[in-house]
Amino acid sequence: MNSTYKQCFKIAFFAVILLVTVFSINQSVDFSGLKIDQLTAEKPLFGADEYQYEAPPANPDENALSSKVNWALLIFSILLVLVIANTLDISKYIAKITGKETTDQNQVNRWIMLIFMIVGLAAVIWEYRVHGKLILLNNSASVHGADYDSMFSITLLLTSIVFFATQFLLFWFAFSYSYKDGKKALYYSHNNKLEVFWTIIPSIVLTILVLRGHQTWKSVVYAEESYTGKIHKIEVFAYQFGWKARYAGDDGILGNTDYKFISGKNELGLAYGPEVDLLLTELQEKIAQDEQNIKNADMTLASLMNDYNAANDVKDYVAMESVQKQIDDVKSGSYVDELKASIKRKTKQIERIKAIKENPAIFASTFTSAAEDDIITQEIHLAKDSIVTFNFRSKDIIHSAWLPHFRAQMNVVPGMPTKFTFVPNKSTAEAKKEFGEEFEYYLYCNKICGSSHYNMKLKVVVESQKEVNEWLKTQQPAFKKQEVVPAINTEAPANPTDTTQKIVFN
Amino acid sequence: MSTVELTESHAVDTHVHHDEHGHHDHHQSFISKYIFSTDHKMISKQYLITGIIMGCFGMGMSLLFRMQLAWPDETFPMFESLLGKWGKGGKLDPNYYMALVTIHGTIMVFYVLTAGLSGTFSNLLIPLQVGARDMASPFMNMLSYWFFFLSSVVLMSSFLVETGPASSGWTVYPPLSALEKAMPGSGLGTTLWLSAIILFIVSALLGGINYIVTVLNMRTKGMSMNRLPLTIWAFMLTAILGLLSFPVLLGAGLLLIFDRSFGTSFYLSDIHLNGVGALTNSGGSPVLYQHLFWFLGHPEVYIILMPALGISSEVISTNARKPIFGYTAMIISLIGISFLSFIVWGHHMFITGMNPFLGTMFMYVTLIIAVPSAVKTFNYLATLWKGNIRFTTGMLFAIGLVSFFISGGLTGIYLGNAALDIQLHDSYFVVAHFHLVMGSAAIFGMFAGIYHWFPKMFGRMMNKTLGTLHFWLTFISGYLVFFPMHFMGLAGVPRRYYQFSLIPEFDIWMDVNVFITVAAFLGGIAQLFFLYNFFYSIFKGKKATQNPWESNTLEWTTPVEHIHGNWPGEIPTVYRGPHEYSRPDRESDFFPQNDPGNGEPEHYHAPAVVDNSYSGPKEKPSKVFFSSFAYLFMLKKA
Repeated sequence: MNSTYKQCFKIAFFAVILLVTVFSINQSVDFSGLKIDQLTAEKPLFGADEYQYEAPPANPDENALSSKVNWALLIFSILLVLVIANTLDISKYIAKITGKETTDQNQVNRWIMLIFMIVGLAAVIWEYRVHGKLILLNNSASVHGADYDSMFSITLLLTSIVFFATQFLLFWFAFSYSYKDGKKALYYSHNNKLEVFWTIIPSIVLTILVLRGHQTWKSVVYAEESYTGKIHKIEVFAYQFGWKARYAGDDGILGNTDYKFISGKNELGLAYGPEVDLLLTELQEKIAQDEQNIKNADMTLASLMNDYNAANDVKDYVAMESVQKQIDDVKSGSYVDELKASIKRKTKQIERIKAIKENPAIFASTFTSAAEDDIITQEIHLAKDSIVTFNFRSKDIIHSAWLPHFRAQMNVVPGMPTKFTFVPNKSTAEAKKEFGEEFEYYLYCNKICGSSHYNMKLKVVVESQKEVNEWLKTQQPAFKKQEVVPAINTEAPANPTDTTQKIVFN
Repeated sequence: MSTVELTESHAVDTHVHHDEHGHHDHHQSFISKYIFSTDHKMISKQYLITGIIMGCFGMGMSLLFRMQLAWPDETFPMFESLLGKWGKGGKLDPNYYMALVTIHGTIMVFYVLTAGLSGTFSNLLIPLQVGARDMASPFMNMLSYWFFFLSSVVLMSSFLVETGPASSGWTVYPPLSALEKAMPGSGLGTTLWLSAIILFIVSALLGGINYIVTVLNMRTKGMSMNRLPLTIWAFMLTAILGLLSFPVLLGAGLLLIFDRSFGTSFYLSDIHLNGVGALTNSGGSPVLYQHLFWFLGHPEVYIILMPALGISSEVISTNARKPIFGYTAMIISLIGISFLSFIVWGHHMFITGMNPFLGTMFMYVTLIIAVPSAVKTFNYLATLWKGNIRFTTGMLFAIGLVSFFISGGLTGIYLGNAALDIQLHDSYFVVAHFHLVMGSAAIFGMFAGIYHWFPKMFGRMMNKTLGTLHFWLTFISGYLVFFPMHFMGLAGVPRRYYQFSLIPEFDIWMDVNVFITVAAFLGGIAQLFFLYNFFYSIFKGKKATQNPWESNTLEWTTPVEHIHGNWPGEIPTVYRGPHEYSRPDRESDFFPQNDPGNGEPEHYHAPAVVDNSYSGPKEKPSKVFFSSFAYLFMLKKA
C-alpha cells in the first residue's frame, strides 16, 4: 500500500510539471484565433441568391465561453497527462535503478477509474450548468411547446438520475473490487428477486414516460382537431435550395397546385389558366428545339471539335477537359439519348396537362379562381395566438421543416402532402427581449437535400394580426392585377443549383 | 438424450474427417492458406484486418469533415492534395462533405461494425467455443469473406468516380439518391454504393446462415444450449436478425436501382427537378423506401450491438472472476431485444408524415426495448460487484462499453418518444446518441474482443501498456467528442450541415465545434497506438500461453499454434456452463468447461440439482425454458 502512495506522489509530481507546461502553453497560444469573429463577411460561395449575409456582431459572452473552453482544454490536458504518466510506467524505470518492485498496472487502472469517475461526473455537471443554459427548454414560442418542455424535463430528470447512479456504480465497483492476490470473488450467479425488481422498476418508469409521451404526441399531431377557432392555412413550399410561403389572398382560399404546372414564372405550379397555357407553348417550343438539336448533333460535334482545337492551341487544359467530356457525350450517343428523354418527358407533361384541361369536371375543379390572388412570400409572418397550419409541399426531393423554437418539425415529401398545426404564443419582439436583439425565428431544412442544405432557411416573424395584415398588403399577389407578360422567358429561373454545379464540374 | 447422441455422432464424424485429411495441412500453398482459405480462424483474421483497414478510412473521413466543421473559413491545402478538385483552394466542397459523411456512415455501420465485428468474432469463436472442427460450410464461409472484400473494393472505388461517391447520407433516401441531377453524388457514385451494398448483403447472408447452422448443429458433446457462452448466443441471434432483415434491404436497393435506371416509380412521385423539368414519375412514395430501409436499419443497430454485448459479457465474467450475473436473464434479454428490434423501425420515421397512429404504436414498442437493455446493464453491474477484477485491456474496453451503453442508451428514451422526437429528429442529439450507443459501445466491444482473443488469433500477446494508453485516450476522447453534441442538438443545431457560420444563431457553438474536433484528433491519435500495437504484436509480441486469461471456455483448450481442425485429438466434452469462476468448492478460481472435476455439481449454489446428464424434464425452470427453446429449433424430438 505504501508503494501505491509513493506512486501517486510521483505521478502527481510529473503531473504538476506538465500542468505548468500546459498552462504556460495555454497562456502563450492565442486560442481566440479560432473564434468566429474572423469570418469573412462575403456572400457565401454556394447557396441561395436571396440570402444576404451580415457579419455576426461581436458577442461579449463569447470571450467568456471561449475562456471556459480553454479551461476545459486545460483540465482535459491534465487528465491526459495523468493517463500518460500512469501508463508509461515511469516508476518501472525508477524501480530498475532503485531495485524496488514495479508498479502493478491493475492498481494504476483502478485509480484512473476513480479519477475518471470524479472528473467525468464533475465535467457532466459542468456541461449541464454551462451548455445546459443554451438549450431550448422552458422558452418555447408555441402553446404545445410548453407541454413538450415539461415532457422533456421529466425525461431529463429521470434519465439523469439513472445516468449518475449507474455510472457511479460502474466505476465504483471497478475501483473497489480490483484484483488482489489470494482474494476470491463472490460466487453469485443470479438472484431472481433482484432481477424481477430491476425489470419491474424500469418498466414502471417507462410506462409513465410512454403514457405522458402518448398524450403530448396526440395533442401535437391531432392539434388541428383539438383547437377551436379559425385555422390560418399557409402553404410552405420547399425546393433545392430554399423555401417559399403561400398565403391565401383576399378570398381566404389557397388555390390548387400541380407539379406539372411549375414553370419559370409559376414557380409553385399554381393552377392558373393563362400561365399554364404559356407553359404549354413553352414546352412545345422546347421540344422543337430539342428535335432540332438531335438533327444537328453532327454539327454540334464539329463545333465542339473546333472548340477543342482552339483550346488545344492555347493549352487551356481545363477547357479541353470539359470540351472533351461533351465530345464524349455526343460520340457515345448519350447526348442524343438525353435529348430524346427530355422530349419524352415534355410530351408526357403536355399530354397530362391537356388531359386535365380537356376533362370539363377535372378542369373546373382544378382551375378555380382561388389561385389568382394567392400571395407568395419569402418570409412567414404569423399572428400571435392564432392557430396556424403549415401545409407542406416539396418541389423536388425530401426536405424537412424544422422550427426549433416552436418545437415543430415535419418532413416535406414530394407527392405526399404533410402538415403541422401549432399556435405561436411569443412574438418576435418578445423573443428578442429574451434572446437578444439579433434574434429571429427561422425555419431550417433538416433533411439532407444537397450541396446547399446547410443554407436553406426561411425567416419566421410572429407579430400581431394587424401587423401581419399590413405586411401581407405590401406583398404582391401571384397573378392578379398583373398584365400578361408578352414575351416568354424561356430560361430556367436563376437558382443556386446551377451555380453550384458550374463550380463543381468546371 | 437425442441431442447428445446427435452431437456425439457428429463429433466423431468430423473427427474422422479430420484424420483423413490431416496430412494435407503440410501441403497448403500460400494461396490456399492465406488467401482463399477455408479455415475459420484464417477467415476471421481476414475479416479483422479488412475491417481495421476500412475503419482507418472511416475514421480518417470523419477527421476531414470535423476539420471543416471546426474551421469552416480556414483553407487547408491538405484538402486539395488529398481530394483534388473536391478540395480546390483548400476548401472542402459541400457535395464532397456530404459524400464523406455518407461513406463514413456506410463504412462504420456495415463494413467495420457489422462485418468487422460480427464477421471476425463469429468466425473465430463459434467453432472454437461450441467445440467444432470448423464452420458448417467452410466454402460458403470463404465466399462470404470474398464477397465482403469485393464489396469493400467497389465501395472505395466510388472515390475514383468523376462525380464523387454517394452523398445522400448513409440511408440514401430517394428521391435525392434516385435522381442523378439532384446532386453529383447521386450519379455513378450511388450506383456503386448500391452494388457494394448488394454484394455486402450476399456476404452477410452467406456468413449468417453458416453461423446459425454451426451453433445449432455442431456443438460438441455436452454443449447444450444452456451451456453456451453468451458470445455464441449473441452471435447466433445476430445472424438470425441479419438473415431476416438483410433481404429486405436487398429489396429496397433493387427497387431503387429500378427507379434509377429503368424508369419505374416505386419511390418517385410529382417531382419537378431544377434543370430537368417535370418528371413523368407518379404514384410512388419516398416513405416506402424509408419503411423498407429501416426494417433492416433498426435490426442492423442490434446486429452491430449484440455481438459487442456478447463479447463484453464473456470478457467481464472472465476478468471479474465471477459468473455472469443472471445468465438466463441475459439470454432472455437478448432474445427480447432481437424480437422487439423488428417492430420498432417506425421510430426513425415519426415525422416523415406517416400516420400519427403508427407513431404511437412504434413509441410503445420502442420504449419496451429499454427494459431488456436496462436488465443487461444491471446484470453487468452485478457481475462486477464483489468481483476480483483484473484490468486486462480487454476488460477495460468492456467496462468502457458498459459506460457508453448507459450514456447512449438513456438518450434513446428521448428519441424513442414520438413527442420528443418532433424536436430532436435529425439534430445533433441524434448524432450523439447513436455514436455513443451504437458507434462507441460497439467499437469498444470490438476492441475488447481483439485484445482478449488476440492470443488465440495470433498466438502472441499485445502490449498491455500501449493497450491501456489506447483505452484511456479513446475512452476520454469518445466522451469529449460526443457528450457536448447532446447540448448542441438540444439547442436546435441540425445534423449534416456543411458549416454553421452562415447561421448567426449557431455561432455560440463554434468553440464547441473546435473542441470536438480537437478531441476527435486525440481519438485518432489514440488509434495509432492501437495500430502499432496490433501489427507489431502479430510478429514480435510476447508468445502467448495456452490459456492466458485463465478462462473457462473451450477455445483456450486448443493449442496456441493454429491447426486445421482446431483440436489435435478428440474434441473435448463439456461438463458445465462457461461462467463457473471462483467457486467456493474449488481451489482455483476457474473451472474450465471441459474439466470433469471431482463430482462437483454443475452450479455450486444448487446442490439439489446434482445432475450432470442435464437432460430430462424434471429440471429447474431455466432448463425447461431452454429445452422448449431448443425444441423450437427442432433440436429435440418430442
